[in-house]
Amino acid sequence: MKKRVSLLISILLVLILLVVGCSKGSSNIDNGQAGDNVEENTEYKTQITFAGSSTLAPVMSSIATDFIEGYSTWDKVDSSFPEKDIIIYVSAGGSGAGVKAVIEGTSDFGMLARDIKDEEVEKIGDAKIYKLGVDALTISINPENPLHKVKDNLTSEEIKKIFAGEYKYWDEVESSLPHEEIVVVIRDLGGGAHEVFQNAIMGDTQVREDAIQAPSMGALVTKIIENKNAIGYASFGMVNQNEGKLIPLKVDGVEPTKETIVDGSYKISRPLIVVKKGELNPLQKAFMDVVMSEKGAQIIEEMGYVPAF
Amino acid sequence: MRKIREKIFEILIKMLTLFSVLILAFVVIFIFKESLTFFKEVSLLKFITGRRWNPLGPPEELSILNIIWGTVYVSLVAIAIALPIGIGTAVVLSCYTNRNVKRLIRGIVDILAGVPSVIYGFVGLLVVVKFFEVNLSLASGESVLSGGIVLSVMLLPFIVSTCDESMEKIYREYSQSSRALGVSKSYMIRNLLLPASKRSILASVVLALGRGMGETMAVMMVIGNASIIPRLLGKAQTIPSLIALEMGMAEVGSLHYHALIASGFVLMIMLLIINGLLYVIKNRMDI
Repeated sequence: MKKRVSLLISILLVLILLVVGCSKGSSNIDNGQAGDNVEENTEYKTQITFAGSSTLAPVMSSIATDFIEGYSTWDKVDSSFPEKDIIIYVSAGGSGAGVKAVIEGTSDFGMLARDIKDEEVEKIGDAKIYKLGVDALTISINPENPLHKVKDNLTSEEIKKIFAGEYKYWDEVESSLPHEEIVVVIRDLGGGAHEVFQNAIMGDTQVREDAIQAPSMGALVTKIIENKNAIGYASFGMVNQNEGKLIPLKVDGVEPTKETIVDGSYKISRPLIVVKKGELNPLQKAFMDVVMSEKGAQIIEEMGYVPAF
Repeated sequence: MRKIREKIFEILIKMLTLFSVLILAFVVIFIFKESLTFFKEVSLLKFITGRRWNPLGPPEELSILNIIWGTVYVSLVAIAIALPIGIGTAVVLSCYTNRNVKRLIRGIVDILAGVPSVIYGFVGLLVVVKFFEVNLSLASGESVLSGGIVLSVMLLPFIVSTCDESMEKIYREYSQSSRALGVSKSYMIRNLLLPASKRSILASVVLALGRGMGETMAVMMVIGNASIIPRLLGKAQTIPSLIALEMGMAEVGSLHYHALIASGFVLMIMLLIINGLLYVIKNRMDI
């Protein structure tokens, strides 16, 4: 008897495992069906997904949160829309991942913190591109570094030499500085931020091989704040959020400010872009209208970037 | 009736086993297939013996010898630090503690294994790296050594639990006889317990090596991620951190993207070899 019960239990457990094992596959099908149902009823799905740049993700999710809190269901946005909860997913994984998600159709919108490449536009096919704002990379140093007291300006040539490793010690940059090693902090070489820096300053010259590659912009900024000999390209937004903890320098005599970034006279900047494959459905359009409105611009600015519209 | 049930049960169980084997096969095949595109363009030999990693180009240079060394180096440093501590802990647990204290200490050590690696990385960044910068007057504290220190804490639980298991068995078997012979406890530990548990210590080292080489987040935060020839106090790059760092940004389908998958393939082969080694050692241990 006992054996039978235990046999029964083990079969049951196995069955449960089987069901659990299958759940991933079957839930996908469920999603598909749900999507189909929605399409039958309302002709479009009520979920919007964003994927891509970790720079833009907090901005989008902040706008999305506002949007959801303001309306909660779609029919409050516009009476012709279905009475369904507004669901907007924002996931960060890098600009490249954003484009990948759009190409593969795993996400409605892709977010990029760099210019979109021609090959990428080609791969997407019918690409709709929205430029939301501009982020600038400032050449920043630790406040304890005496450099900013001696001179607050670096020429492109000097920056290039520092990052390429031609200047190894601070006293080579400016003779009055102490003989201490320059610690160069960069983002990962394949990333959007580095690409912008490479194009604007380095050109064909390579960054020194032993530069520290920070896994995120936050880590890069932390490194500059923690290490008095560090220099790196902190984003304009990050510098504003950490005012006083790191000092941005002028580049070729141009100070990074909102005005100089927008009019393009400050040279190390990158656009913040949202890209979509194909036409927007009315729901997506309604949301993007809010993103591109005064309200969206305000949030972009709050996050430390410069709105482009 | 009973027989049918038996049969059904058997089939179900077998299917589940097949499922888990298939998952491994699927992962291996997927990675291999994706990296094949890369190996068509760059030979495997060049990939693992070249030193330069420069995905931006031109010219695009994608070779990972420095990164392979970095991966192994950080793990070895971590094991060198964790092994004495781990063995010591295991000896204390198996010979010097009563049951309750043992359970408490084991619990604490196991919690070490449960702390998310990003937390270790964070502490490493703010404590270990900072310490090196301030006290060793290094320009930047990111180094193989700081990676090794952070990683050693994470490997400790693996070493302790592997060693403790067999040490306890050995101690129980021989403690009475050695006490009857009148040898001191420390003599017994030095001349009987440690030699007898040689193999499980080796097994724990191999297990820890495999675990350490695969560690991503904590290591990535403290080693500086520069793909140069690793030195103890210099920066380095490991394969998992390389993939985590660059995968998000690499353009899909580009050579860079496939190179990252190929480096994952190399890492997986290395880990499979290590696991094979572990299997052999464990098999011998039982005889």
